[in-house]
Amino acid sequence: MSDEKKSCSASPNAEPAAERSHLPMWILALTFVLLYLGAVFFDHHGGWFDREVYSPYASAEELDAWQPKFGAAALLAQGRVLYEKNCGICHGNDGLGKPGQFPPLAGSEWVNAKGVRRLEQIPLQGLNGPIEVKGQALNFPSGMVAIGTAMADADLAAVLTYIRSAWGNQAGEVMADDVKAARAAAGAHPQPLSGDQLAKMPE
Amino acid sequence: MKNGFAIFFAAFVVLGGSWCAFVLAPELQLGGAKQTSVLNSSEVYPIQRSGDATLGLQIYRANGCAACHTEQVQQDDVGCDMMLTSVGKNTNAVHEAYQSYFNTILREHLVGPRVVDSIDRIATNRGPWPGKLPVRILAPVDKFFADLEADKIAAAGGKIEIQIVALGPDIARGWGLRHSVAEDFLYDYPVQPGSLRAGPDLAGVGAWMPDLNSQLMHLYAPRSVVKDSVMPPFRFLFEIKKIGDAPSPDALNLRKEFAPPAGYEVVPKPEAKELAAYLLSLHADVPLYDAPFTSLSASTNAPANKP
Repeated sequence: MSDEKKSCSASPNAEPAAERSHLPMWILALTFVLLYLGAVFFDHHGGWFDREVYSPYASAEELDAWQPKFGAAALLAQGRVLYEKNCGICHGNDGLGKPGQFPPLAGSEWVNAKGVRRLEQIPLQGLNGPIEVKGQALNFPSGMVAIGTAMADADLAAVLTYIRSAWGNQAGEVMADDVKAARAAAGAHPQPLSGDQLAKMPE
Repeated sequence: MKNGFAIFFAAFVVLGGSWCAFVLAPELQLGGAKQTSVLNSSEVYPIQRSGDATLGLQIYRANGCAACHTEQVQQDDVGCDMMLTSVGKNTNAVHEAYQSYFNTILREHLVGPRVVDSIDRIATNRGPWPGKLPVRILAPVDKFFADLEADKIAAAGGKIEIQIVALGPDIARGWGLRHSVAEDFLYDYPVQPGSLRAGPDLAGVGAWMPDLNSQLMHLYAPRSVVKDSVMPPFRFLFEIKKIGDAPSPDALNLRKEFAPPAGYEVVPKPEAKELAAYLLSLHADVPLYDAPFTSLSASTNAPANKP
C-alpha cells in the first residue's frame, strides 16, 4: 500500500508497471517440506496404487499379514459344503445313506478306519457293490463313480476330513499330500473297485 | 499467432496429463480386474448375474435408485476377535492369564469399543467351565496383541481362535461384512456406486434381505416392510387387477392397510421382478484376498446357510 502511494506521488503521470520480485525463499522451503511430508505419508499409507490394497490396509505386506489362517473348523466347513454338493445326494446330508442302496458313512467301519489309504481309493477309483457296511449287506450294481478324480487334492482332503469328523465319527484328519499320493497310486484310468478288492487293500 | 507452439504444447501437456491421470492410470490399475477366488473355498466371486437381474440393473438405473442408495460399504479398521474354544483342565489358570494380560496391556490397545460377552462368567466361575464353548472373550483388538494373548492362554492350557473382523459404522449397521472392492462391480454396467444415502447401502441387500416377497412388497409399499421407511412407493411397477377365477400365484401378500380393495390383487410387472432379482443379486459378503475376514459361522462350525 505504502509502496503504491510512493510511486504515485513520485510521478503521477508515469505508466504503472508491475515489477518482478523474487519468490521468497521460505515459500520454496515450505513447499519442499510439504511435498516431502506428503511423499512420506503416501509411502506409509498409500499402498502404492496396488489394486488389491484398500484403506485401512497401508501396504500389500500389511494386507498379506491380515490374511486369516484357517483352522480345523474352517476346513470342516469347507468339507461340509463340498460334501453336500457332491456326495450328499446319495449318502445323505446326515451321512446315513439309503438302506440297501447307498452305504451309510456315519459310524461306518470303512470311514473310521485308522489309516486313510483304503478310504481315499473309493472316491478316486469308484466302487461297485456288493459290500458289507455296519453288518448290513448292500448291493449297488450301478456303482459309485470316481467322483474324486475331478476334485482338487485339498478339496477331497477336506471332504474326507469332514466325513471322518461329522455325525459322531471321530477319526483323524486327511492331509492333501495323502490324497496326492493316493491319486498317483490310483493311476490315470482307474477302474471301479469291488468290495472284495477293497477289503484286501491295506488300511 | 505469437506463441502458437507454446500454447499448443501447454494445452497438450495439460490435457494429456489429465488423460493419463483419469483414464490411463485407472485402466492400468483396475482394467485387468477379473473373477477371484473366495478365501478358503474353491468358489469364485463374483458370479455373472442371471438375465433377469441384468435387466433389473437397468430398471435400477432408470428409476434413479442410485440417487438415494449407495452400493459401497466403507470400512474404518480391521481387528481381531478372540473366541475361547477350549479352557483345558485348569480354568483358573486360563482366567488369570486372561485377566492379567487384559489389565496390563490389552486395555490400552483395543480397536474400537470393548465388547465382552462372557468374561464375567469366567471371572465369577472358578472350577469347571459353566457355559457353552466357543465364547467370545474380547473384541476387537489389534493383531499383534491378539497373537500374544493367544500364546498366553495356550500356555495356560486353553485354546483361542482368532477371527478377523472388519470394523466401521457401515459394518456395525449390518450392511456388509467387509468394505466394497472392485470385484463387486465386475458385472455392473454402468457401475452405480452412488454418493448419497437417503436410504441404506445396498451392496449386500441380497444377503440381509434375501426374501423375494419382502423385496417386492417393499417396492410396492415400503412401509409394509420397514416401518419408518422414507422411500417412495414404486407402484407403477405393479398392476392392480381384479381377481379372476383364482388368485394369481404372483400376487403380493400385503397386510390389510396396504392391500387393494376386496376382489383386487397386486401383481408385479416384469420390471418389478427384474428389479427384485437385481437387488437379490447384490451379495458383497464373501471374504476375498483384498478384503479378508473370517465369518463367524465358519469357525463356530454352525450350519452353513448357503449350499
